Amino acid sequence: MKSAVRGLRGLALILGMAAALLAAPGSALADAADDILARFATDRFADTEKAIADLAGSGLPSASAILEALAANKLLFDPQERKIYIGAEGAPLIDAKTGAKADAADAAAMKRVRTNNAVRTALQAAQGALGLTSPDPVKRRSAAEAVYKARDPAQRAGVEAALAAEKDPQIRDIFSQARAAMIALDAQAPDAQKLEAIDVIRARASRDTISLLSAVANANKDRVKAAAEEASAALQARQALWSHVQNIWYGLSLGSVLLLAAIGLAITFGVMGVINMAHGEMVMIGAYTTFVTQEWIRTHNPALLDYSLLFAVPLAFLVTGAVGVAVERSIIRFLYGRPLETLLATFGLSLILQQAVRTIFGANNREVSAPAFMSGSFEWGGLAITSGRMWIIVFALLVFTALQLLLRATPFGLRMRAVTQNRRMASAMGIDTNRVDALAFGLGSGIAGVAGVALSQIDNVSPNLGQSYIIDSFMVVVFGGVGNLWGTLVAGLTLGVANKFLEPFAGAVLGKIALLVFIILFIQKRPRGLFALKGRSVEA
Amino acid sequence: MARAGPPFLDTRGIIFLAILIAAAVLVPVMALAMPPGSFFHMPVYLVALFGKYLCFALLALALDLVWGYCGVLSLGHGAFFALGGYAMGMYLMRQIGSRGVYGNPDLPDFMVFLNWKELPWTWWGFSSFPYAMMMVLLLPGVLAFAFGWFAFRSRVTGVYLSIITQAMTYALLLAFFRNDMGFGGNNGLTDFKDILGFSVQAGSTRAALFSLSALMLAGSYLIARAITVSKFGKVLIAIRDAESRTRFIGYRVETYKLAVFVVSAMMAGAAGALYVPQVGIINPGEFSTTNSIEAVIWVAVGGRGTLVGAALGAVVVNFAKTWFTGVLPEFWLFALGLIFILVTLFLPKGIVGTMSQWTSRERRRAGGAPAAAE
Amino acid sequence: MTGMSMAITRRNMLRATSALVGGALTLGSFGALAQGAGTIKVGILHSLSGTMAISETTLKDVMLMLIEEQNKKGGVLGRKLEAVVVDPASNWPLFAEKARELISKEKVDAVFGCWTSVSRKSVLPVFEELNSILFYPVQYEGEESQRNIFYTGAAPNQQAIPAVDYLMSKEGGSVKRWVLAGTDYVYPRTTNKILEAYLKAKGVAPADIMINYTPFGHSDWQTIVADIKKFGSAGKKTAVVSTINGDANVPFYKELGNAGLKATDIPVVAFSVGEEELAGIDTKPLVGHLAAWNYFQSSDDKANKDFIAKWKAFTKNPKRVTNDPMEAHVIGFNMWIKAIEKAGTTAPDAVIDAMVGVSVPNLSGGLSTMMPNHHITKPVLIGEIQADGQFNTVWQTSGTVVAEEWSPHLEGSRDLISDWRKPMSCGNFNVKTGKCGGKGA
Repeated sequence: MKSAVRGLRGLALILGMAAALLAAPGSALADAADDILARFATDRFADTEKAIADLAGSGLPSASAILEALAANKLLFDPQERKIYIGAEGAPLIDAKTGAKADAADAAAMKRVRTNNAVRTALQAAQGALGLTSPDPVKRRSAAEAVYKARDPAQRAGVEAALAAEKDPQIRDIFSQARAAMIALDAQAPDAQKLEAIDVIRARASRDTISLLSAVANANKDRVKAAAEEASAALQARQALWSHVQNIWYGLSLGSVLLLAAIGLAITFGVMGVINMAHGEMVMIGAYTTFVTQEWIRTHNPALLDYSLLFAVPLAFLVTGAVGVAVERSIIRFLYGRPLETLLATFGLSLILQQAVRTIFGANNREVSAPAFMSGSFEWGGLAITSGRMWIIVFALLVFTALQLLLRATPFGLRMRAVTQNRRMASAMGIDTNRVDALAFGLGSGIAGVAGVALSQIDNVSPNLGQSYIIDSFMVVVFGGVGNLWGTLVAGLTLGVANKFLEPFAGAVLGKIALLVFIILFIQKRPRGLFALKGRSVEA
Repeated sequence: MARAGPPFLDTRGIIFLAILIAAAVLVPVMALAMPPGSFFHMPVYLVALFGKYLCFALLALALDLVWGYCGVLSLGHGAFFALGGYAMGMYLMRQIGSRGVYGNPDLPDFMVFLNWKELPWTWWGFSSFPYAMMMVLLLPGVLAFAFGWFAFRSRVTGVYLSIITQAMTYALLLAFFRNDMGFGGNNGLTDFKDILGFSVQAGSTRAALFSLSALMLAGSYLIARAITVSKFGKVLIAIRDAESRTRFIGYRVETYKLAVFVVSAMMAGAAGALYVPQVGIINPGEFSTTNSIEAVIWVAVGGRGTLVGAALGAVVVNFAKTWFTGVLPEFWLFALGLIFILVTLFLPKGIVGTMSQWTSRERRRAGGAPAAAE
Repeated sequence: MTGMSMAITRRNMLRATSALVGGALTLGSFGALAQGAGTIKVGILHSLSGTMAISETTLKDVMLMLIEEQNKKGGVLGRKLEAVVVDPASNWPLFAEKARELISKEKVDAVFGCWTSVSRKSVLPVFEELNSILFYPVQYEGEESQRNIFYTGAAPNQQAIPAVDYLMSKEGGSVKRWVLAGTDYVYPRTTNKILEAYLKAKGVAPADIMINYTPFGHSDWQTIVADIKKFGSAGKKTAVVSTINGDANVPFYKELGNAGLKATDIPVVAFSVGEEELAGIDTKPLVGHLAAWNYFQSSDDKANKDFIAKWKAFTKNPKRVTNDPMEAHVIGFNMWIKAIEKAGTTAPDAVIDAMVGVSVPNLSGGLSTMMPNHHITKPVLIGEIQADGQFNTVWQTSGTVVAEEWSPHLEGSRDLISDWRKPMSCGNFNVKTGKCGGKGA
C-alpha cells in the first residue's frame, strides 16, 4: 500500500499537478474526489468512463484500489447516497474512498458498477498510467504494454518521465515504443519526430504494430505517410514469410489432435482388427472424466485446480480402460475374426454410451476450464503460439512415445504383438490370449480416454464429442496403414499440415473434401496405407 | 431331382412377393375406399410411414446384393440413395414453378433469396420427368462405376474398401452442405407441390407412391434374385468366399464386382427417388455416414445374403425406431443400441437366416430330407 | 410344390401378415389408449438425441414445466393440458414423420417445437396439409410467413441490425471494419446478405467487409482466428459479427480466448450464443464479447426472477440457466392459452384467427404482441459476456421492435408483406403486383 502511494505521488508530480494538489487544503481535495467518485454512482457507462480518467489523475490514495475493484467487478454503489463501496463476496463492505470498513452501509441497497468494453478500455489505460512508476518490474511492464496499447497522447508526459527513470532495458524499450506511438499519432507533432517514431515502432514486429502503422498512414500525408506505409509493408512481408511457418505450426497442432484421437483406434482397430465405432465415445468418456475430476477438485480442494488435468489423465485412462475391458469381455470377445460384425455391435454400443452420458450429465455442454499454464498465447519470432495448443502437441508426442515403449519394450507389448500376429501360435506358447485381448482393448480405450482429456481443452464436452472425431480417426488409421503406429503418427501430422495449407485458399470445407478425395485415391495406389504391414498375417 | 441350382423363386421369395403385391393393392383400397372409422381403414400417415419403410427396404436389398453376395461392405450406400433422392427432388422443385413464396417462375426459392440470377447448369433438364428419372439411375450408377472402377482394379478390399466408401459419402455430405453448390445447402430441397401433375399431399398420390414402392421393391427383388441364382451369381459368391482363388481360376473379379456394384447403386438411387416425395424433403443429412451404417445394420438384423431378410430387417428396425421414439423418447437409443448388440451376438445370421436354420433343422429331423437349397 | 411346403407357406404368410397388420394396429391403437378424457393435448417436437439435443432438450423441459404450471391453475377452458413428447432425433425427415404422428394419431391441438430452419422447413408442409399449429421459438433468417406457424423467435431486424447499429455507435466503439463469420447454412447466409446490404447502405466500403463461412461442427479455428486478427490490424476499429451455430461455438470461443483476442481489441457479437452455450465454456477470457438477443437471464424483471426460480425448482438444479428460446416458448405458450380463452375452443382455425393481436408480458419487462404477420414484437438487447457466464445488458431498444419477416434489404423480398387477417390472409402479398404470391392468385 505504501509503495502504491509513493508511486501515485510520483505520478502526480510528473503530471505537473502535484504542486496544486499538494498545496491545496485537504477539504478541497476531498470535494473534488467526492465529485469524481459520485460519477461512478450514476449507472451510466459514459460517466463511469470519464470518472476513471479523472480518478487516475486525481492523486487520490485509494484510486488504484478502486480501479482494481472495478476491474474485478467488486465496485458497488449506493444509488441514494451516491457513494461507492468495495464489496467482495463474504467480506465486509469497505468505503471505497477511505478504505475503512463501512459497517453502517446497507449491503442490500447496493448496486454493482457495471462495465462495458469502452469502460474496460479506459480502465486498462488508467491502470497503466497508475502502474508506470510501480516499484514492481512486472507491474511496470504490464503498465507499459497497456499504455502502448492505449496510445493516449495525454499520458505522454507520464511515459517520458517513467522512461527517464527506468533502468530495465526491456521495459525501457516498451516505454520508448509507447512514447513513439503517441508521437506518431499526435497531429501536432512535427514530421521529423514522427519519422523517428516510426523507426522506433517498427522494431516491434507484431500484429498490433501493423495496425498502429496503418492508422498512422491513414492519419498523415506525404513523407510520414510514405514512411509508415513502407514500414507497415516491410512488417507485412515479414509476416507473410512467417505465415508459412505459422501454417506448419497450425498443421502440427491440428495433426496432433488427429493423432491423439486416432491413436487409441490404431490399437483397437489397427492392431486388434475391431472396427470400433464406439471409439469416439471412449474419447467422450475421457472428456467427461476430466469434467468430473475438475468439479471434484473445484469443490474439495480449489488450490489444486490448476493441476486438475494432471489428475484427470491417469483417471481418464483408468475409467475408459475399465470400460474397454468390460466391453471386450462382454461383447467383443465373441466376435473375433468377424471384423464387420464388430462394427455393428460397437455401433449399437456407441448409441448406448451416448445416451447414457446424456441421461447422467444432461445434453448440454459441460465446462472444463483451462489451467493457467495452458491459457494465453505468446509470440516467438513472428510465430503466434497459443499455450494450450503447444501443450497438446507435447502431450500427443508423449502419449505416442509411451505407447511405443509399452509395445516394444515390455513383456505385455511382446505378448500383445505375438497374439495379434499369430493367435494360435501365441496360445501354444503359453500366452493367455484372452487376458491379452482384454488388456489390449482396455489399453486402446484408455488411450482414447486420455485423448479426451486433451480434447476437453479445445472442443465441446458434450455427448456428441466422439461423433465428430470418429470418421477422421478412421481416415488417419487407414491412411497411415492398419497395424502400424508410426503410420498413424505420420498420417495424422500429414493430414493436419495438408489441411492447414489448403484452408487459406480453398476454404475449410473444400480443403477437407480435397483431402478425403486424396485419401480415396491414395488407397487405390497403396491399398494398405502408407506403412503397410507385410507378411502372411496380413491376409488373415 | 437333378437341378443345377436353387429354383428361381423359393417359398420365401413367393411369400415375399405375395405380401408386396397384396400390399400394393390392398393399402390404397384401405386408405381411400374404406370410410374412416372402419376397422379396415388405414390413415394416410400410416401409408406414408410404410411407404418410407419400403424405400428403406429397397436400399437394404441393394446393399445385401453387394455385401451378402459379393462380400463388398459398402459404408457409402446412403450416398447413392441420396443422389437418387436429389435427382427426384430437383424434378419436384422445378414443378413448383411460380408457386414458390417469391413467385419466381425460373428459380427455386432458395436461389431467389440468395440473389442468384440464373439457373445453374446442374439444374438444366430437370423439369422433364423422363430426364429426371434417367438421372435417378444414372447419377448413382456413374458414381458407383467411377468409384468401383478404381477401387476394384486396385484390389482395395475388406475394411479399406469400407472406409473409403465412407470417405466418399462423407465428402459428398460436406459438398452438399455448401450453399455454393446450388442444391439448397443444409435446408436441402423441400416444399414440393406436385409430381406429374398430382399433388404430393393428396391421399391418392401417397397411396399410389406406396404401391409404386411396393412394386419397385418386388421388381428389384426379382432382378436381384435373377442375378444371384444365375451363373454370374455363383461367381459373386465365389468371390465373397475366396477372392484370390476365384481370380486364380481365371475370372476377372473386378468386372464382376463392378457390375454388381453399379446395379446395386442404381437400385439404391431408385429407392431414394421414391423416398423423397413421400417424406417431402431431401437434404445433405441423407449423406451422413450414420445413415449408411444404419442401412448395413438393417441387412445384418434381417439376415445377410438372404435378400428377403434385408428388406425385412429394414422394416423391423425402422418400425422399432418409429415406435420407440414415440413411446420412449428419452430412452429409445438404449433399446435400439441393445437390439444391435444382441442381434450381432445371438443372431449372427439375422432373423431370416436363423429362421431358415431352424426350419431346415426341423425338416431334417422330420424326414431326413436334404437341407433346403441355400 | 409339395403339400408340406404349401402348408408352411400359408403358415408363414399368415404369420407375416398378422405381424404387419398387428404392427399397424399397435401404431394406431397406441394413441387411443394414451388419450385421456377431455384433455387438451400439446405436442412437443424437440430433438432429445443427436446433434441438436444439446439445445433442444431444454426447450422440452420448459414446455413440461409450463404445462404443469397451467394445470396447477386449473388448465384452460376447464380442461387439463397433456404433453405428448416425441423424439425426432435431429433427423429432418423424422421431424416431418413425427409431426404427422402428433397431429394425425395423437390429435394434438398445437405443437411447440423445432430449432433448426431445416426442421421447420421439413414440417411446414405437414402443418399446412393437416391444418394444425406450430410455435417456433428460435431466431431465424425470416423470409417466411405461414398461416399455421407462429414465429416467437427473432427475425433478422430484431437481432442482427440493432447489434450492428450499436457497434457503429460511439458507445459500441465506432466500428468501421466488419468480419461476418458464419456457419454455412441458410440462417447465416441470409443474415449476412441482409447485413452486407445494410452496411453498404451505411457507407461501409466493400474492402472493409470480410465474409467467412465454415462447415457445421467446425472445430479447428486457428486459421480463421488468425485471419480475423490480420483483418483487424488495418488501423480501423474492427468487430466480428458471428452467426456461427451450435457445436462450433465452443471451440471457436476457446480459440479466441487462447489466442488472446480481447473484446477491447476486436469485439465479437454473436446471434446464436446464449447462456446455455456459455455454460459449457470458461468465460473469463471472453469478458466483453457481445451477444444480441431479446432476453437475457440477467433481466431484473420480477416475472423473470419468478420464472428462473420456478425453473430451478422444476429441474432440481440450482445451476440451470435460462435463455432466449426458452423465453420465446413462455411467450408463445401464454399467447396460445390466451387465444384459446378468447376463441373458446382449441379448433385450429379459430385459434389461428384469435392469436393475432394477443399481448402477453415478456420476461424483459414489456409486452409482446402477436402481429398479423405471425411474428411477435420484441425488445432488442445487447449484452456483454461476464466472467460468471451471464450477460450484462449494455444497450437496449427503448420499446419493442416489429419483425420484418420479409427483409427490405433483400431484392427478392423487398415488395412482399404478410397479413393473415381477413380479407388479405396472405403470407407473401406483393405490393407491386397486388397479388398474393404463393397461393397462385
